[in-house]
Amino acid sequence: MDFDLTDEQELIREAVREFAESELAPIAAELDRDHRFPEEILPKLADLNLMGMPYPEKVGGAGADYVSYVIAIEEISKACASTGIIVSAHTSLATWPVYRFGTEPQKERYLSDMASGRRLGAFALTEPAAGTDAGAGTTTAVLSGDEYVLNGTKMFITNAPFAEVYIVFAKTDPAQGTRGMSAFIVEKDTPGFSVGEAEHKLGIRGSSTPPIYFADCRVPKDALLGGEGSGFKIAMQTLDGGRIGVSAQALGIAAAALDASVAYAKERVQFGKPIATLQAIQWMIADMATAVDAARLLVYRAASCVDAGRPYSTEGAMAKLFASETATRVADRAIQIHGGYGYTESYPVERNYRDAKITELYEGTSEVQRMVISRSALR
Amino acid sequence: MRIVVAYKWTCDPEEATVRADGTVDWSRAKPGISTYDPVAIELARRLAEDAGAELIGVTAGAKGVGAPIAAKAALGRGLDRVVVVEDDSLGEAGRSELAAALAEAIRHIGDVDLVVTGDSSVDVAAKMVPTVLAGELGWPAVAEVTAVTGQAGKLRVERAIPGGTQVLEISGPAVLAASADAALPRVPGMKELLAAAKKPVEHLDLADLTVPARSAVMTVTGRSRPDRKARKGQLLDTSDAAAAAAELVTALRGAGAL
Repeated sequence: MDFDLTDEQELIREAVREFAESELAPIAAELDRDHRFPEEILPKLADLNLMGMPYPEKVGGAGADYVSYVIAIEEISKACASTGIIVSAHTSLATWPVYRFGTEPQKERYLSDMASGRRLGAFALTEPAAGTDAGAGTTTAVLSGDEYVLNGTKMFITNAPFAEVYIVFAKTDPAQGTRGMSAFIVEKDTPGFSVGEAEHKLGIRGSSTPPIYFADCRVPKDALLGGEGSGFKIAMQTLDGGRIGVSAQALGIAAAALDASVAYAKERVQFGKPIATLQAIQWMIADMATAVDAARLLVYRAASCVDAGRPYSTEGAMAKLFASETATRVADRAIQIHGGYGYTESYPVERNYRDAKITELYEGTSEVQRMVISRSALR
Repeated sequence: MRIVVAYKWTCDPEEATVRADGTVDWSRAKPGISTYDPVAIELARRLAEDAGAELIGVTAGAKGVGAPIAAKAALGRGLDRVVVVEDDSLGEAGRSELAAALAEAIRHIGDVDLVVTGDSSVDVAAKMVPTVLAGELGWPAVAEVTAVTGQAGKLRVERAIPGGTQVLEISGPAVLAASADAALPRVPGMKELLAAAKKPVEHLDLADLTVPARSAVMTVTGRSRPDRKARKGQLLDTSDAAAAAAELVTALRGAGAL
């Protein structure tokens, strides 16, 4: 078994780290404090081909493998978890369904712009009364002549209102339940589409997640992605990949909290010596380092499955479950090591702590991941 | 126009640790392009882009400099191709041997109009290679270069001097050492990094190069640092300032310091 990264993966890590440390780390605290979406960073991400890493060059992507992509999300999230989810949601949730299910005209119209980062994407599945039970959504799409008419509300839409292209899930046949759900590509400027007030969140405050509304929003018939009734399948398959992106984000948060703790433990002096010499601290660091490494192995394994063309639903769920719970636990221990200072904004670990929690919730809660994993284990 | 960037592939001393016996443990230090060399690449790349020049990297050193990742790391930063001289004898080589090997590689490339180097190497920091290299080539050497524009045979070079800037015009080939902050290196894009493996890498055998024999050989034969006298760790009770001062004077006299 080969645990070594390729030259390209190593160099991609170094390059993304260089970018993240110079461009993201200096603004991460400010984005968090001001709840500000880092609009100015998007062209820079696009310049480095970080907005479509796993897609072929011929469709505007970087042509990298999936392991390289998760390494990039990890490094970005180490510096700024908000930017990590902006990139991951755009790449895994919005661009992927177009790449995987789009017709040639749809790919021509959207894929190059999205994979190159010229147009930001978003994924609109969750509704006020349909979170984990995603099939319970009540947004409808009624065919009227050559157009579908969309009505309903979507919640927690990452990248809205900055995204220009939305993958929207709506019922074309509500009586059929999840089999009556369809996916649509909706452009931001479509009449009847509007965006609500931004949510005030515990963490990842640089990521914008407002509700979006559809009021007699008419989209052309060819905005249908996949066939009628295939929306739920598209959503679930898309989330299988999205979870690997979130697991990489969680890994980045955990790694950041660990690095900060190691640095602090070496410099903080109590009882006349650095606290790193105290066994209580050493044991916490040991557990954190082991958990981060185990999470990294699961995340990279899931990404390797994608690269190898093997099924990755269970592996992605395991990676997300373990990495997200590792992130919250490691960030909690990081604050413990920092003591009172860790509870203040003077050190980044309080932001790590707040940012970590969402990774246990979005793109499938930990409970959903356990459902996916247990189904596979008990098959 | 043909521009060469001479760069070094080495480990960052900040990632090394010093063992209790004073020897250095490099085992956890990852090799990479020497810290200031991406600045040289960026400075040369801007000129190459403006002048439509070919941009070639040259490096020489012990085993490791010829590793594929070393070439890809350099090529990912915008070089068109690299030329590598890998030989274990260059690992402990002095600056003149290394510069002589680089000069031979540059002669091998041929028709080179300009050589750009970093300010200094991160591991040795002797700041000598650019000057010795220029001597080997018989070209002028300019240090602390902050900007370079123009074309082959007519280069306009700016260099930092105490209190200001000096502007030079150079009519022939030259060796320029970029100042540490001459240009902010671009972060390599993902496509550039992935395309690096497709760019040409030429490996030269040191034995095939006509590196002149050195008239003198310089070898590092030892290292030492000043002895540090054991501290006495004597603490004075300062609650009574006058008594503490008297005690301090007595102690210093006792130690022969007064």
